[in-house]
Amino acid sequence: MQIRKLDQMFEVLKSRTKKRLVAAWAIDAHTIEAVAQAAKMGIIEAILVGDESIIKTVCLEHGIDPTMFRIVHIDNDLAAAAKAVELINSGEGDFLMKGLLSTDRYMRAILNKEKGLMDPGAILSHVTVAEPQTYHKLLIFGDVAIIPLPDLNQKIAITNYLIRVAKFLGIDNPKVGLQAASEQTLPKIPSCADAAIIAKMAERGQIKGAMIEGPLGMDLIIDKESALIKGMKSEVCGDADCILFPNIESGNAFYKTVVKLLKSDLCAIVMGARVPCVLTSRGDSERSKLYSIALAAMLA
Amino acid sequence: MKKLIEIAQKAIDQGKKTRIAVAVAEDANTIGALCRATAEGFVYPILLGSQSRIEALLKQHNLASGSYRIVDLPDQDAATREAVRMVRSGEADVLMKGLVGTDKFLREVLNKERGLLPPKAVMSYTCALELPKYHKLLLISDTAVLPAPDLEQKIAMLNYSVKMAQKLGINKPKVALISATEKVSPGMSNTIDYALISKMVERGQIKGCVVDGPLDVFLACDPASIEIKGVNTPIGGDADILIFPNLETANAFYKGLMLFAEGELAGLIQGTIKPVVVMSRSESENSKYYCIALSCLMAEES
Repeated sequence: MQIRKLDQMFEVLKSRTKKRLVAAWAIDAHTIEAVAQAAKMGIIEAILVGDESIIKTVCLEHGIDPTMFRIVHIDNDLAAAAKAVELINSGEGDFLMKGLLSTDRYMRAILNKEKGLMDPGAILSHVTVAEPQTYHKLLIFGDVAIIPLPDLNQKIAITNYLIRVAKFLGIDNPKVGLQAASEQTLPKIPSCADAAIIAKMAERGQIKGAMIEGPLGMDLIIDKESALIKGMKSEVCGDADCILFPNIESGNAFYKTVVKLLKSDLCAIVMGARVPCVLTSRGDSERSKLYSIALAAMLA
Repeated sequence: MKKLIEIAQKAIDQGKKTRIAVAVAEDANTIGALCRATAEGFVYPILLGSQSRIEALLKQHNLASGSYRIVDLPDQDAATREAVRMVRSGEADVLMKGLVGTDKFLREVLNKERGLLPPKAVMSYTCALELPKYHKLLLISDTAVLPAPDLEQKIAMLNYSVKMAQKLGINKPKVALISATEKVSPGMSNTIDYALISKMVERGQIKGCVVDGPLDVFLACDPASIEIKGVNTPIGGDADILIFPNLETANAFYKGLMLFAEGELAGLIQGTIKPVVVMSRSESENSKYYCIALSCLMAEES
């Protein structure tokens, strides 16, 4: 089924075999509560890697039954991250989640050459799924957090991740808008040039499974009327499922506008590792953390 | 159009005598071709060079007096410079190279103060090929001037070729941007340029043509290949124009066809304020005649 609201992920997951979440250094209330809620809803099983006594204390303080988790005792954050990754690699878990450790340390465990979760040449990138009330469908976009200035190859990888996330959400042949400074092909502006190249590659079947158009200004991507006024005939215009941003600044500004100004629900995931990785921050709402866990479970 | 001779007919139909200034008009093939065009009424040749040598060559052709002009300048440099000056000042409509070295000739054309190239303009060479095995004339660029065109130069080549096609009566020519494959590959910079040009055309930044690339020559000119490969291209194996990634490729393409497939060609330089006909001194009278006819079409303001 096609997911049109983030809530609908829960129904889908409940009808499937539960995926096993492994939370690295899950010793804080934020993480444990989100995982507990997801487990309680019956959408995942969970392994918490961290200091067992702290985990149990936090559970007690928040009225959570610790027996609903498998707890793997490790007494420091770096070792806990390594252990969590090891559990994934040994097949005991299906996807990873960050606990109280810094993003930097979490990523280092994922990126570790021998023991991490990366295949050679894989590109790690961040994909967000938002549900803006003022748009008629979910919006899947990236990269707002990991790759500051993606080159052409990285943009192609990100585009493929966006398409993949769309597929897992049941969106067949998603429409992808390649955001740029202008819809004109201005060779000296990298966002325009790369978008033109990616669009042509898609036309040649080198990127499959999506309808891709670019370069496009943001207005043309999400607003049919602008497209009409400007005479853009692409089916992507005003009806995009996915947006590729040319750099982290544009993506991040959009992300934060969606969260703070539109107060939209959203969730995010790190793609490119062997399994989906959840990377929530403490500033995220409970709802958004739960959605992110659900999204990772959908993709795992 | 299927044959180059149709270009000559079109030049005749213009009902106008194009004034061609010929620098060092002292070889038999050039004079022969010019006399044919003059007799057919579409050219008024201005022959610069040694009057005595020119008159000797003219003897075997019975040109009416008053249908041509001779400017006696036995010195090659002086004759070339004067021919360029005449075109620049509007006393002639086309410049043509006679028995003078290409280097020397082009140096005058490119001269910053007294030459024919506007500042920043791109000079490029387009040919029209007649091929027994193709169903129409095929325009190709650049076979002679730009060794390794960059994006801007490729766009200029495209625009010049489109203009030529339009002069030949093809309102919206189909342009294939030629590479070894139809795939866009970041490792092959020409395919990147082609992707950009295709998108520019789609966005209306380049007008008057249908463009697709990268394509290989099969996909550009052979509908059967398109079916086999399943590539969706608006060119449909029916290209009017092939833009090549570099001079070697274009040059080898046309020479191969001339040698093995009985191809014939007419070509000229564009980008200059008026068309410039540059042919090798060894070129046949027939070829030169076609080039002259083509230049007469191109010299007309559209």
